[in-house]
Amino acid sequence: MDRRTYLKTTGGAVTGISLAGCLGGLGGGDDSEIVAGTAPGFPPFEMKEGGDLVGFDVDLLSAVVEETDYTLADEWEEFEFDSLIPALQNDRIDVIAAAMTIEPGREETIAFSDPYYDANQSVLVSEDASVDWQSLEDLEGATVGAQSGTTGESVVESELIEPGIIAQGDYNTYDNYVLGVEDLENGNVDALVLDVPVAETFASERAVTVAFTHETNEQYGFGLRQGEEELQTALNDGLATVRDSGRYDELVDEWFGN
Amino acid sequence: MERLSFVATPLQAGDWAFVFENAGYLLGGTAITIVLTVASVLLGFLVGFPAGAIEVYGGRYSAGVVSTAGVVLRGTPILVILIVLFFVVSIDSAFLAAILGLGLRSAAYQSQIFRGAIQSVDSGQIEAARSVGMSQLKAIRHVVVPQSLRRSVPGFQNEFTIVLKDTSIAFAIGLAELLSRSYDLFVQQTTAVLEIVLFASAIYFVLTFSTNRALDRLADAYAIPGGETA
Repeated sequence: MDRRTYLKTTGGAVTGISLAGCLGGLGGGDDSEIVAGTAPGFPPFEMKEGGDLVGFDVDLLSAVVEETDYTLADEWEEFEFDSLIPALQNDRIDVIAAAMTIEPGREETIAFSDPYYDANQSVLVSEDASVDWQSLEDLEGATVGAQSGTTGESVVESELIEPGIIAQGDYNTYDNYVLGVEDLENGNVDALVLDVPVAETFASERAVTVAFTHETNEQYGFGLRQGEEELQTALNDGLATVRDSGRYDELVDEWFGN
Repeated sequence: MERLSFVATPLQAGDWAFVFENAGYLLGGTAITIVLTVASVLLGFLVGFPAGAIEVYGGRYSAGVVSTAGVVLRGTPILVILIVLFFVVSIDSAFLAAILGLGLRSAAYQSQIFRGAIQSVDSGQIEAARSVGMSQLKAIRHVVVPQSLRRSVPGFQNEFTIVLKDTSIAFAIGLAELLSRSYDLFVQQTTAVLEIVLFASAIYFVLTFSTNRALDRLADAYAIPGGETA
């Protein structure tokens, strides 16, 4: 059993236990102050610059919360992506802002705000690769990588491995996409599946290029605990306000404009 | 076939400059790594040494409990231990959970280092100590322990090194030390992966090397002249 499977198992166990209501939340403090959690290392959504957490998700959530009666705690909690849902379940954080795709599997354990970004996936290849890939079917027999716990990984598992386009052994999982890009440049892996804006960031900085984009029709949302309708409604209203005021487009330009 | 270049990414001056600009950030992570390691190894020693002694000298019940706890801790991946402590037992602070997790697992390993060292002291020495009138406890304390501590230095050096490197796993519960901070940096400047990893490795090497040398010195200083060595 590899590390990731362990995490899934423990994550599942943790979720089960917390759903069983064995855990007292940490509670206390000001009810209107919410703590946000993210997993840095996913530019331009969230990354560290000079030790500070920055990114589209960080700015967007701040702008959204500003429109509500809630206040955002100054300190964001940082975890590995796989630890975010357990952290939310345990009241260590109140909202996840980490380019998290709204998907049925996650909705069994947590709730989401309205979507705030389309989560299409890009297939990234090395600039030296002389391949003409147009769709996932073309990846037959290739080695493919993705970051553990991401939508890219679920695309690889459900649309490449399950239909038998690639073998399980030809899938590499990374803690962090930068290491995947490194592998791609060195020719150790043929393709990486990752979110469009992240892929574009890498394409502009490294000797890699986007082969094609795979429409997943999925979207990102802020992750919330189930049963917290008040916070959910407030964030949804805040998001609508931010979209209407043009602030959302400003942020998109700032973080994704080339 | 093309000639393979030695390193895939050329070492660029700009990337090294980036590493040195951010050296402070990495050293901050190093401080967390050191505190975490020292506290965990210390907890591991304080729990592990008595545990090893109990496994050798304890009654059936006490030795059984200690050895079962050891088997469970050694058989569970450190990642799982940390996640259980932080998310299931719900220890408030990630720092405390990390020290407890790393420390208890280290105690389980150290107990076996000390058990081996204690058993390596010839049982005839206990008999000799008893025959000159020492109690069992006194014999263990004055005859066995001083020798077994000396003999456990090499194993302890190993254990220290393992704990030092395993502190990186604490990022699963949100504690960013040296390695996690290295990740942050190469996400910022993705061309600098090799340079950052080399820099972090150098820090790990300095920490490991200097500690092991210090322990070697300690062993030399306390070596029994003409005595059996480990």
